[in-house]
Amino acid sequence: MVDDPIETPEKTYGRFGRLYRGLTTIDFVGRKKTWFTVSIVIIVLGIGSLAIRGFNLGIDFKGGSSWEVKSAHTSIANVTNSVDRAGLVNPTVEVLGGTTYQITADLNSLSIDQQAKVTTSVIDALAKVASVAPNQVSTSSVGPSWGGQITNRALEALIVFFIAVVGYISIRFEPKMAVAAFIAMVHDLLVTVGIYSVFGFQITPDTVIAILTILGYSLYDTVVVFDRVRDNSGTVLKSGDMTYSEMVNLSMNQTLARSINTSLVAILPVFSVLVVGAYILGATTLQNYGLALFVGLMSGAYSSIFIAAPLLAVMKEREPRFIELAKRSASRSDHRIFSPASAALLAGQGAQRQQRATSSSNATTSATNRAIQARARKQKRR
Amino acid sequence: MAQQVGSRRSLTVSLILTIVIAFGSLAATLSLGWGPKLGLDLAGGLSVVYKPVGNATSANMREVVTVLTNRVNGLGVSGAKVNLQGKNVVVSVPGVKDAQTVLKAVGQTAQLLFRPVLCQVTQAKKTVPFHGIWPACGAQYALTAQNLAVTPNNSVQGYGSNTTILPDPKYAKHSANSSSNDDPSKSVILPVLGQPGVYYLLGPAQMTGQSIGKALAQQTQLGAWVVNYTLTKTGSPLWDSVAKANFHQQLAIELDGVVQSAPLIQPSQSAFTSFGGSGEISGLFTEAGAKQLALAMQFGSLPVRLLALTTQTVSPSLGHSSLVAGLGAGLVGLALVLLYTILYYRALGLVIVLGLAVTAALLWAIISALGHTAFAPSFDLAGVTGLIVSIGITVDSYIVYFERLKDEARAGRSVRTSVDRGFRSAWRTVLAADTVSLLAAVLLYIIAVGSVRGFAFFLGLSTLMDVFITWYFTRPLVILLGRRDSSSTSALSMAAGLYSGAHGE
Repeated sequence: MVDDPIETPEKTYGRFGRLYRGLTTIDFVGRKKTWFTVSIVIIVLGIGSLAIRGFNLGIDFKGGSSWEVKSAHTSIANVTNSVDRAGLVNPTVEVLGGTTYQITADLNSLSIDQQAKVTTSVIDALAKVASVAPNQVSTSSVGPSWGGQITNRALEALIVFFIAVVGYISIRFEPKMAVAAFIAMVHDLLVTVGIYSVFGFQITPDTVIAILTILGYSLYDTVVVFDRVRDNSGTVLKSGDMTYSEMVNLSMNQTLARSINTSLVAILPVFSVLVVGAYILGATTLQNYGLALFVGLMSGAYSSIFIAAPLLAVMKEREPRFIELAKRSASRSDHRIFSPASAALLAGQGAQRQQRATSSSNATTSATNRAIQARARKQKRR
Repeated sequence: MAQQVGSRRSLTVSLILTIVIAFGSLAATLSLGWGPKLGLDLAGGLSVVYKPVGNATSANMREVVTVLTNRVNGLGVSGAKVNLQGKNVVVSVPGVKDAQTVLKAVGQTAQLLFRPVLCQVTQAKKTVPFHGIWPACGAQYALTAQNLAVTPNNSVQGYGSNTTILPDPKYAKHSANSSSNDDPSKSVILPVLGQPGVYYLLGPAQMTGQSIGKALAQQTQLGAWVVNYTLTKTGSPLWDSVAKANFHQQLAIELDGVVQSAPLIQPSQSAFTSFGGSGEISGLFTEAGAKQLALAMQFGSLPVRLLALTTQTVSPSLGHSSLVAGLGAGLVGLALVLLYTILYYRALGLVIVLGLAVTAALLWAIISALGHTAFAPSFDLAGVTGLIVSIGITVDSYIVYFERLKDEARAGRSVRTSVDRGFRSAWRTVLAADTVSLLAAVLLYIIAVGSVRGFAFFLGLSTLMDVFITWYFTRPLVILLGRRDSSSTSALSMAAGLYSGAHGE
């Protein structure tokens, strides 16, 4: 049952028009089961895939060597042939961005001297096949413990970050918001990691960085939403005719345009990194960042709206004062969701009464106000 | 914090000052020809991360940094950097042409060499480099067993010897070998540690440090410091044959072009006996001297053994194409964002465009200026990504504010009052959200390793910039516009972006 004090304009605008004009009345809290189910399904799929297939780890985690060379006029077969002759066993040859050839192999079973020898001969072979100077060949070699070290440090950072964030939100907002924000972050972590496993995307240290960013970003988004909830719990909730869930719904609808705009604004550059940087221009590092950020930003935007806020409502509705509030509201037997516009109009009445007292506003405005007030009152009584 | 939104005068001053500072500092850095210090994945170059094997104190690691810095600088490449990240040593040499040569020189574990001492030589102050093979010592100067005439006796030292052999003056016009010109298979002239002015002509190396198992500085019952060492399985017979060949002569222990010690072999014995896999070097050691020699014998010149965790070389052309890709992606992304905000917020969208221009000018100036200090991490692809991500955070501050304005407008308030009220609530949100972002950046910077630090640095920098710009630029600009604009109805006015969003237009 969706019921808005202002009914007429709703039909005349599309979804985006309603969003733009602050007329959305989405029941974020009421449909929490839908959102939670969607997330749980995605997470379970991800964890299942993780258990069965594991990760596609890059050489930074397994240890190994890679070479990169740019050449417009050679082929995978040529490159593979020449590195085979140079002494590589089981090399993987890939083309990135059309003209960059990347060769990966594991040399860690060889002694350090042998590794150096093979590395140099592969460089010479690649330079020859690509007809460039040997210093145009990029190399990377990683011992087997490097990735572990990066991951350990990242995990350390993650744990400290979690503690700091929960502390900050508990103090600045309230502990229940901290818990909801924390669960939303864990949600994003699980979703991103799961998607990486399901699609077999390669995990590199850059992916680890990107995931840390995502958590920061998801939290940033949640904080903006919760800030509005806190604002409203100071004003709207005090009047006593809205339950906590209704207030959260209103806050969500109020910040929806912001959330969507911000997510779009954040995702556009990342999307550009992914498409322009990685696939058209062929920079591997950018591809690694872009992919994780893209997946994570989507998940982050989703979780702050559909996970964090409903969770907060569920937790707060258990507090005695809000149970009381919900009981009183239930006796009114209607379930109201205010659009931002109508809430603003209702809230605006106080302000306009003040305005009228100080300055003599013109007659037409007052007439409109009276009409809206009448309608809003009728709404309340119904 | 936003209790006082400010008078027209102070707002104007703040706005103009911010614009002047931003574009002024940009112009200053551009006219100085300063640019960001590009990381090696953008400029091309070499980077190695070494991990100490076993336990290493932070004093050990600082010593490692000093030794590696000397080695890299000895190669004559510019802009090389050796620093500690936790207990890892990161060596980065950006823009290097021949990465493999540098890699070899830096990565080479310094060799401990055992060379016979041929004679002591005189070194003149002004010297000419010498290329070729050193001539043999004059017969009266040579430190042969015959000239030294070591005879075991009952003195405290345990032996007597001829100590009147003079340095050979015929090498005086040449300089000694440098550590980079220290070929194990040739004879060399090298200085002696702790004895300024003393130089030895040494024969080709007969054994390397690989034959040494462990070495330990210990005190004898008489209180003298000695170095006890053991030899590896294959090292033991080799050591015996070398020692036998140099019996009653000096054998120099040389490291990185410096003679650490040149003990006589078994001077207190009248005939050579096998060392049996271990030995002792005695002499007039101080405690520190003995410990240093023991470390050198066991680990080479570094106090700990280093293991290369990851080695990366990036060719300049690949670096260049990454830079183009990163900047290209950033610009396309930025253009899309600006297009969207102008379509959505009309005139207010232009505020975002101007705000981003000011932010970008200031950021570029700061990054360029930081490129001239040792403090800032170099600007690499991870940093570029940090900046691209921060576009979202920066623009979000505007969106939060403008959505508040729309709320105010919907509540029927005038633009004039909305801009003040809206800013107060938006400012709280921006502060809370930016604190979280900054928290993440600072923690990452402190804890993480490798390129994560660069990423965190630039993310944190642009978050700080966002707080600064929101208060000193966006606030005055929007409030001033709002006060001027309340009656205008043109499509470019602020009201067009706000009221079309409010109900009832």
